[in-house]
Amino acid sequence: MLTLKNLRVAFGEHEVLKGIDITVQKGEVVTFIGPSGTGKTTLLRSINYLEKPSDGEVKLSDVGINFKSANKKDILKLRRKTAMVFQQFNLFKHKTVIENVMDAQIAIQKKSKKEAYEKSCEELEKVGLLEKKDMYPSRLSGGQQQRVSIARALALEPEVILFDEPTSALDPELVGEVLKVIENVARSGMTILLVTHEMRFAKNISSKVVFMDQGHIVEQGTPEEIFEKSTHIRTRQFLKEYYETEEELAVANV
Amino acid sequence: MFKFDVLAEDFIGILMVVPKTLLLAILILFLSTLLGGVIALIQQYRIPVVAQIVKVFTSFLRGTPAVVLLYLMYYALPQIAHLLLKIVGIEFNPHDLNPVVVVIVTFSLTMSAFQSEIIRGAFMSVSEGQIEAAHSLGYNFLQTLSRVIMPQALMEALPDFLNSYMVIIKALSLAFLITVVDIFAQAKIMGAMSFRYLEAFVAAALIYWLISAILTALINRYELRLRKAY
Ligand SMILES: Nc1ncnc2c1ncn2[C@@H]1O[C@H](COP(=O)(O)OP(=O)(O)OP(=O)(O)O)[C@@H](O)[C@H]1O
Ligand SMILES: [Mg+2]
Repeated sequence: MLTLKNLRVAFGEHEVLKGIDITVQKGEVVTFIGPSGTGKTTLLRSINYLEKPSDGEVKLSDVGINFKSANKKDILKLRRKTAMVFQQFNLFKHKTVIENVMDAQIAIQKKSKKEAYEKSCEELEKVGLLEKKDMYPSRLSGGQQQRVSIARALALEPEVILFDEPTSALDPELVGEVLKVIENVARSGMTILLVTHEMRFAKNISSKVVFMDQGHIVEQGTPEEIFEKSTHIRTRQFLKEYYETEEELAVANV
Repeated sequence: MFKFDVLAEDFIGILMVVPKTLLLAILILFLSTLLGGVIALIQQYRIPVVAQIVKVFTSFLRGTPAVVLLYLMYYALPQIAHLLLKIVGIEFNPHDLNPVVVVIVTFSLTMSAFQSEIIRGAFMSVSEGQIEAAHSLGYNFLQTLSRVIMPQALMEALPDFLNSYMVIIKALSLAFLITVVDIFAQAKIMGAMSFRYLEAFVAAALIYWLISAILTALINRYELRLRKAY
């Protein structure tokens, strides 16, 4: 359903994504892992066209775009089929919770206020924040803000939802509530692309795990294949380092 | 001896020109904001050549006393108008230019430099993340501007705009130099008529203070509401 072919992104001379090919089926949860600076964020942002790739193609159901010749119309189409959830939530701070969820429905989907309102209540209910609907984002905890931003994304009924480290900016005690919401989204059959450092969560939720390093996809497979049976040195090294720091943290926290 | 009845009389007399002064100031605020917006845009997008010209222009405006500019415009503007209108074929006698126009043009220009800074700051206060969120949801440029950036920038700028308004009202006291009658000019006239300048200027000071107090109260209430909101 989502296909990327030879996706390349460069910042000036520095090529960050060096030809990414990937296919995602409807309803799949694909998690991207890999060292810092590898291009995971850049990959998700490109699918949302927040970065401008220098080459490659994307196909998402009936929209096909060649990045070399993408025009404004294509870009808007792509953006309307994809939704991004940011590390920093990025809620509109001058709008209340429900206005945040309603606004794009009114502006972009041309829904009536009433329709948008009802849909927004539904989505807020799903993330457990209906009773906060008239508050401003600044009044909410980080976890709550992130749940609102997920509701805002889902309200547009995108075909793919992109999560870029959705829990990295949160206090540890708030991570759980957001992961729970993401899990529910996955259960509902939504197609998900996720970048996360929460390995345990990735293992449980993913249908496919992609290990990236230095702008390339090194390998991809089921969580078991990547986390337990990988034969790639770089994958194993990355996971080993990850678990070691995890243990150090655990020890430090005791 | 200080005469309170004269003060009261002057007070009423000066109040008569307050609406005119406030209106003039509103007009100047509006024009300088418009011009300031254009300047901010030019600087933001670093439009070649124009941006450099604007830079020189604003530095000149900032570095020259308003009195000097006012006199400069008083003598230059009629000639400029004469020349420009001649190009489009309209005969215009330089002596026919209403000094009020000179006041409006001069203060709109001087204030535009400050307004552009306020506008720039207000736009910068909208976080890049929110703009990206809007794009990612599929908002186009105009939708992002009107639904996300403008409302927040306006909220941010409004107290500063009110402050600018006060600055303009006070600056208009220079207008008497070129025969335009505002609050201060009216005080001078009333003082001259009764030969009691002290009462007239006390009355003028009180009126400026009153206007400023009302505006400040407005700003404070607004900022309080804003802080409550988010
Ligand atoms: N706007 C930009 N301008 C220049 N370089 C950039 C920009 N954004 C990212 N980069 C560079 O691109 C590379 C990939 O960055 P990216 O954020 O995609 O990595 P990441 O895999 O998400 O890393 P992390 O795990 O730290 O989030 C990095 O070297 C980064 O410095
Ligand atoms: Mg990243």
